[in-house]
Amino acid sequence: MESWTKRIFLNLSRAGLALALLIAMATPVAAQEAAPSLIEPDVEPQTISETLISSGDFEAGAFVGLMTIEDFESSLVWSGRLAYHLSESFFLEANVGVAEGGETSFEKLAGDVELLPGNDRKYLYYDFNLGFNILPGEAFVGSDYAFNSNFYLLAGAGATDFAGDLRFTGNYGVGYQMLLTDRLSLHLRVRQHLHRIDVTGTDKTVVNTEMGTGVSVFF
Amino acid sequence: MAAPVYRTGLSPRFRALAFRLLLLLAGCLQGGPVAAGWWGGGDQALPRVQVAEPYTEWRTGPASGYPVVRVSERGEWLQLVMRKTGWLKVRDEQGREGWVAMADIGRTLDARGQPVELGAIEFDDFSLRQWETGLMAGAFEGAAVISVYGGYWMTENLALELSGSQVLGEVSEILMVNGSIVHQPFPRWRLSPFFTLGIGQVFTFPKATLAEPENRDNTAAHAGFGLRLYVSDRYFVRAEVKDYKVFTNRKTNEEATEWKVGLSVFF
Repeated sequence: MESWTKRIFLNLSRAGLALALLIAMATPVAAQEAAPSLIEPDVEPQTISETLISSGDFEAGAFVGLMTIEDFESSLVWSGRLAYHLSESFFLEANVGVAEGGETSFEKLAGDVELLPGNDRKYLYYDFNLGFNILPGEAFVGSDYAFNSNFYLLAGAGATDFAGDLRFTGNYGVGYQMLLTDRLSLHLRVRQHLHRIDVTGTDKTVVNTEMGTGVSVFF
Repeated sequence: MAAPVYRTGLSPRFRALAFRLLLLLAGCLQGGPVAAGWWGGGDQALPRVQVAEPYTEWRTGPASGYPVVRVSERGEWLQLVMRKTGWLKVRDEQGREGWVAMADIGRTLDARGQPVELGAIEFDDFSLRQWETGLMAGAFEGAAVISVYGGYWMTENLALELSGSQVLGEVSEILMVNGSIVHQPFPRWRLSPFFTLGIGQVFTFPKATLAEPENRDNTAAHAGFGLRLYVSDRYFVRAEVKDYKVFTNRKTNEEATEWKVGLSVFF
């Protein structure tokens, strides 16, 4: 009885082996060649190009600060900044900002006079600058943290829309940037905006100082 | 009883803006390779290179002013985390991070043992550029002009350019849009002259203080000459002089001369 069952199992296993052999022979040659590799790479090795590496040459930021508008008090100023880093030292940036002119001392003293209609007091500017990272460095916070930083110089040109007119405006300034991560940074910035204006009776060059702080992300 | 209405404190306009900003941020976070390492994390499938020179220097930041803090020896594998201008952030097998110059990564080997084809942008890349864009400022008939342009090189010698300019004069503000064809006879020169010819539209807005303010819209043709000077990396200085003929419906056409100097980037 035992030998019968043994024989049946033996025959069955022989048949199985034959079947397996048949299948193996029937499979295409290519599939057989791929099988022996013991370590399979996670990813196909590919040529390394710049497109595979995420970059951070562009920087977008939002700033808030104080702007003194000559003859028209000082105002809160909001601005947006887009920068493109040309090299480790140079960058190009575009800024757009908005502030609001206050009252001249003449208007305050004379009482019921308005030098400008309300909507002409809106101060709007744009400019393009060349920036230069003059002092790259590190800032140390406590004993555990070090953040990369930059001290940079700015100069450029743009236009200011204020007191009913659009005027060519030059600007220059300095900034300090602290990189919290490779993609996130904090700025402190002071800029001087220069333009001609004749609203207060004489045609003169005014220097408006903008001082602000901002956050930017690299992408 | 009607349900109470709560004020959120944010105006709908501000909320719309905030929403748009959020969308933009989300876009940045998702954007393929951009997402990796946004907050210092995410290191799936970063490209790897093997140091082939005797050693490679690491700095603390992406500029030559930062101090050298570590060196990798020949045979070490480095992951390329991100790039900032001509610098690559690398991570070694112990998870340490630092910045290596792109030119040094150009002397490493990839996973197949082949030299990595990365390197600093050089003069050769300038001669073979396809796209360029830049900012320029100067004078248009004595008034200040600010200009933005972009160009596409069809061949080594010929390019198509589109520019937008704003002229801020004493009596009027002018906006100009110009299309031009640019020819440079010597594309391989570091200081390369070029000639330009094109047409555009001139929109004139006289200042409100004038007696008869009347907006004008004229077609103008221009011819010009300029110079490009390759500086380094991805940028060059560009200077040009253009002579415009503005076609008016009066008896005579107007002429204007413009000069500009600026900085451009190429890709």
